[in-house]
Amino acid sequence: MASGIKDKVAIIGMGCTEFGEHWDKGPEDLMVGAFEEALADAGIGRGEIGAAWIGNALDDINVGNSALPLAHALRLKTIPVSRVENMCATGTEALRAATYAVAAGAVDIAVAVGVEKLKDTGYGGLPLRTKGVANDLWLPYGSAPGTFAQLAGAYTARHGVDAADLKRAMAHVSWKSHQNGAENPKAHLRKAVDMETILKAPLIADPLGLFDCCGVSDGAACVIVTTPEIAKGLGIANPVVVKAIQVCASHGWEMGYGEWDGASVRNTQVAAARAYAEAGIAVGDLSLTEVHDCFSVTELVTMEDLGLSSEGRAIFDILDGRYDRTGAQPCQTDGGLKCFGHPVGASGLRMAYEVYNQLNGRAGALQLAKADFGLTHNLGGQPANSVAAVSILGRLN
Amino acid sequence: MTGTNRGISRVGGYLPLLRLDRAAAAKALRFSGLGGRGAGHRAVAGWDEDALTLAVEAARASLGSAIPERLIFASTSAPFTERSHAAVMVDALALLPATRSGDVAGSRRCGVSALLDALLGNGDALIAAGERRPAKAGSPFHFAFGDGGAAMLVSSDAPARLIGHASLSHDLVDLYASREHPTPYGYEERFVKETAAREVIAPAIKAALASAGIEASAISQCAIAEPLAGMTRDIAKLTGVTAPNHAVDLAAAAGDLGAAHALYALALAFDAARPGDKVLLAGFGSGCDALVFDVSGPVPGAAEARAALSQGLAFADYIRFCSLSGALDLDWGVRSEFEQKAQATVLERHGRDTIGFIGGRDGAGNVQFPKSRIPVRPDADGPEMLEDARLADLTGTLVSVTADRLNFTADPPFWFGLVQFENGARVMMELTDADAKGFTVGDKLSMRLRIKSHDKRRGFRTWFWKAAPLARPAMEG
Repeated sequence: MASGIKDKVAIIGMGCTEFGEHWDKGPEDLMVGAFEEALADAGIGRGEIGAAWIGNALDDINVGNSALPLAHALRLKTIPVSRVENMCATGTEALRAATYAVAAGAVDIAVAVGVEKLKDTGYGGLPLRTKGVANDLWLPYGSAPGTFAQLAGAYTARHGVDAADLKRAMAHVSWKSHQNGAENPKAHLRKAVDMETILKAPLIADPLGLFDCCGVSDGAACVIVTTPEIAKGLGIANPVVVKAIQVCASHGWEMGYGEWDGASVRNTQVAAARAYAEAGIAVGDLSLTEVHDCFSVTELVTMEDLGLSSEGRAIFDILDGRYDRTGAQPCQTDGGLKCFGHPVGASGLRMAYEVYNQLNGRAGALQLAKADFGLTHNLGGQPANSVAAVSILGRLN
Repeated sequence: MTGTNRGISRVGGYLPLLRLDRAAAAKALRFSGLGGRGAGHRAVAGWDEDALTLAVEAARASLGSAIPERLIFASTSAPFTERSHAAVMVDALALLPATRSGDVAGSRRCGVSALLDALLGNGDALIAAGERRPAKAGSPFHFAFGDGGAAMLVSSDAPARLIGHASLSHDLVDLYASREHPTPYGYEERFVKETAAREVIAPAIKAALASAGIEASAISQCAIAEPLAGMTRDIAKLTGVTAPNHAVDLAAAAGDLGAAHALYALALAFDAARPGDKVLLAGFGSGCDALVFDVSGPVPGAAEARAALSQGLAFADYIRFCSLSGALDLDWGVRSEFEQKAQATVLERHGRDTIGFIGGRDGAGNVQFPKSRIPVRPDADGPEMLEDARLADLTGTLVSVTADRLNFTADPPFWFGLVQFENGARVMMELTDADAKGFTVGDKLSMRLRIKSHDKRRGFRTWFWKAAPLARPAMEG
């Protein structure tokens, strides 16, 4: 039985650029911006970094493939630098790689940078890419909202919920994130939006309207990890540590075998259960969550998949304000993908950045009164074919 | 003619869902004086339909359980000039690779000519015609043409037996289309009407009647392709054949289907015929082939072909019509720049299973698509040999669905969802032929062969199956 990652790796520095439409910044600017903030936060010299990972999901737009863009941008001299990519779960994969390297004793200090430069595509929304020449022959290439929108019809079918009730709960998800994003200086969308506007927005993919969809942004986030011992040596008496990181990937069951009803994401359920076990905590111990709210319905379903809401109750918990910033278990205190924005490869690390700040009491106007354990949930692909990555961060002691 | 027992054993007719209300749509052209006095409907192919898919759907309707030895694809609007559509159809219909196959074209008579050749030949043969002919907006052809397919299964001991025939080759240039001018260029209507009737059609019909040894009055139903509307009376005067011409009804309800027109009209004539009736077929284009059939009983597929005339979705949006028919090239924005370049090597590995919608049945009996070395079944524990299992003719149920309004499609929205088959297979599929209600979880669906990707830059396309509503709406009126 593996002993897991709990308390073996400390986070000593994090950085995150503003997310948004950075017409004046390229990926190099973004990577350097996030890294320099993390480096200053950690208080180490850049020569102390033993290995680096870059998480970038849509390489051919601007960043370029391989790890070399990171090595060049940060001028990382002679250390191993690698690229990871797992669709929208890429950021957490980068964190996992760096964390495992430190836990394995391969290096003392590792860095992971997630970056995406989406606003060089020339249009809104995520770029459409083929899934390979064989899949081109049969696989429908719907948009991201199109793939996630299908959760809604399946959810109402499973639970016998009225579609209008679901739509209202979805709208509350977005309303809540806009409330939080409005107070986050680094968020892409910093404007509160009323429920009526959200509900009446034009449809993107039925039943998702414009405000049910997250911002498509440029941005980068960075984490520096080391051992708890080294962290203490740097003067951090009780560092934020990784309690768990779990990833679960589809093997084709959802899309190819006749069991799944399309109303939940099993990979999230499995990854979450393993993460709680690895961290040795219960879902009730979570002070906050940063989940993959690429679309409002995704967050709603995720509340159940993580065990925060019981089966079929997410609608009611959401409308009751349970996940608002003033609620029992706040979700997306930083605005989430919805308003902080979603530069794909950076998002997993952006979630960790918010949890890290909350645990360190550095979340500014968004600071929660109580922050013991925070969970990040990063979902790549689509509900029918996904990679779910769940991490739990907490204090060493 | 010498005695033969060969004839048509089954027929199939297929029309796309959309039917343009000609009169309503023509209002958009009122300023110009173009558009004519439109009446009736014109069958309009969806963006994902072409001559091949229309022929395939007609062929499916006509095949039954037959396994023809020969398959002929007939069209004047086939997408490829070098690549046999008939060979593609063999895979789409999951016929034997040993099937003799070929494409015919040259004029809209090609479908009837191929039918006659098959009737005069040996073995079971399938003649499948499909047309999606381009025409310029404002031209009379744009409204007069229709998109559709028709197919005939030829065999021995058939309910519609060939008893006479005649052919006439005549390079009458009533209209033409060429590589340099892909849309039709038509000549003086009075010239065409007079010359085609007197010099081409009537002589062929008379000779066919003589071949059959019957008088014109013995014909009770006919399917005579008119080069231009309103010629049937002239032809009747010249030949003495006064039986109802179902090609006229078809042109009014769906449009002139080109190579498929006379064949589809023949299906309608068979539907109207009673045992003992003599039915006349005449295909026109660079000459004429005339055939006479003796009908001994119902011809399977004929009633369904008639029913299809009134099953569709009427529309009157002229701009949408122009866009769908290719007469208007809309700028769909940057998202439409998405490219899928098909690779021949991949088609060689996966093409037959894809266009045949052939999944695999694993050792536990579960079916999946596409096949894989290790089955998707959760308890599979290593590679297995999967048996072929065709999904094209099965009904599916919708598990999840959306109408995607973000990604490019030439006729928004882009419907897609997860489709569950009773044999265990489930496939994420594009949905097509949405009616006014759209799609909902739990809907029952049937499979249709459609264009999957259209690589305009390289002039290539691929086809795959899409899920459509099980039944079509009845047209009003």
